[in-house]
Amino acid sequence: MKSLIAIFACVVLAVTGCSASGDPATFSGPAKEITVTIAGGSVNPPPGRVEVAKGQQVKIVVTSDVPDELHVHGYDMSAGLQPNTPATVEFVADRDGLFEVETHDSEMQLFQLQVQ
Amino acid sequence: MELARPVEMVLAHGVGGRQDLPIPFEAAVAGAAVALVVSFAALGFAWREPRLAGVPSYLGRSSSWVPQAVGLVVAAYFCVGLLFGPDTPDNPTAGVFYVLFWVGLVPLSLVFGPIWRNFNPLRTLHRLACALLRRDPDQGWRRLSPRVGYWPATAGLLAFVWLELVAPDRATLPVISLWLALYVVATLTGAAIYGAQWFDKGDAFEAYSTLIGSLSPITRVPPPASRKAKARSAASTNPRSKGGKSTDRAKRAPGTRSGNAYKLAWRNPLDGMAGLAYAPGLPALVIVLLGSTMYDSVSNAPVWVQFVQESDLPAPLMGTFGLLAVIGLVLALFLGATTWAARLGGATPATTAGELAHSLVPIAVGYLVAHYFTLFLFEGQHTLALLSDPLDTGANWLGTANWTLQSMGATPASIAMLQVTVIVIGHVLGTVLAHDRALTLFPHRTAVVGQIPLMALMVIYTVAGLLFLFAT
Repeated sequence: MKSLIAIFACVVLAVTGCSASGDPATFSGPAKEITVTIAGGSVNPPPGRVEVAKGQQVKIVVTSDVPDELHVHGYDMSAGLQPNTPATVEFVADRDGLFEVETHDSEMQLFQLQVQ
Repeated sequence: MELARPVEMVLAHGVGGRQDLPIPFEAAVAGAAVALVVSFAALGFAWREPRLAGVPSYLGRSSSWVPQAVGLVVAAYFCVGLLFGPDTPDNPTAGVFYVLFWVGLVPLSLVFGPIWRNFNPLRTLHRLACALLRRDPDQGWRRLSPRVGYWPATAGLLAFVWLELVAPDRATLPVISLWLALYVVATLTGAAIYGAQWFDKGDAFEAYSTLIGSLSPITRVPPPASRKAKARSAASTNPRSKGGKSTDRAKRAPGTRSGNAYKLAWRNPLDGMAGLAYAPGLPALVIVLLGSTMYDSVSNAPVWVQFVQESDLPAPLMGTFGLLAVIGLVLALFLGATTWAARLGGATPATTAGELAHSLVPIAVGYLVAHYFTLFLFEGQHTLALLSDPLDTGANWLGTANWTLQSMGATPASIAMLQVTVIVIGHVLGTVLAHDRALTLFPHRTAVVGQIPLMALMVIYTVAGLLFLFAT
């Protein structure tokens, strides 16, 4: 039975190994610009996933109707938000993974940045 | 990669800034296919007689003072940051509690067995207090009814997962301190009333370590001289153990000795898991563990985030509903499947649910590993670096302050492969455990047909787990 388990473990390793792609090359395309507006406690566009390539330049522009603080989890980028004044955070997405972009005082998630 | 973070950042959420990428669709499908094939193979070709016997874990009721002292020292060091450190992300407390301790107990228990009972600083404090009062720590004021079982630990575990996944400001010091204070008071009160045995099934973290530690591959065999007596005592503490058979089954590793004159030996982890004694509340304990980890995946899905943010109810309330709903669903599926299995197999539903709860432990462990592996890898390193400076004064007490994050070869592809692999291994082990137990629970005639609902249940759990990893 131990051998049974070992065989199945090998099968899984083999199958999932095939589907695994190589490390993505460093990206050198245009910057990804993401614009979010917060008004009346709701986020527009509604929270979702934004995909960017690893190494791509990311520009996040956020306009809020109340003072708040913008934060990009994992990259630890922050920007103060003044009412109705767009604030911008720019960085190179050099770590892969899924990162939440949120406001701190109102504790709202704006979107999830998917870097791969 | 920079470890330093802006100090003014408020820790509103749990620890860890990075989450795993969704696994590739092909990997999810491959994992699900393997799970199905394994289930049918187990039904068709597996053994016809029960083969798994309870083999006790290596770490038993050790009274060695070394782990106790280590537990006290580490807990005291933890309290430096908790009580005197600043409430900023540079304080290691949240990382130590949620990542090094809670997630770290999984690999430690998987290797060494139910390890937390030996280090648990509360158990040691209770023992010291009893020594001062000249009381027997095992003797409480009242006798603990066996019907209480794992229910106190289940309540404690539910309180912990609520703190970890739902509570507002859960990574801040006041919230962690309040939760820990309540936990310490509740646990020590239980121990004062019922004696040290309260920790066994009343302490959430000991019960958690016991569940996972049952899968540890090491056991201990008594020294040859006192073998008969020790085998008898091992059998009496472990109802599943089939007398001397268990010690004969374990292959002894030569030249290794433990402090208790017991010899270290290898065991089949399934023998250990089958040896987890049933007690009331065991199914609920396992299901809180599995359901809460699944909720952690679900709550990350953009659909759920949108739903919570657009709802008029406060987010913590929605989170509480979500957590209870996922645990409730996992529980309903389990009770449905075991009741159906009992009807087909000709056994009572209540006994069937209790006797099969252990088979969900590998599934829960597989999912825990898949879900928390990278958090442990990355946030664990980060926390170890912060631990050198719990007061944020620029100190480097442990020499780890200047560590930079190492990826340790973890790429999105290798992480996805590991996630699918551990989930499928958990499924295989769970299926084998359920099959073996069904052979003792059900009469021969109905044993195979009685397993069909159980297999269906495990396929549902596994495919749901893979789907969550794919979709969130």
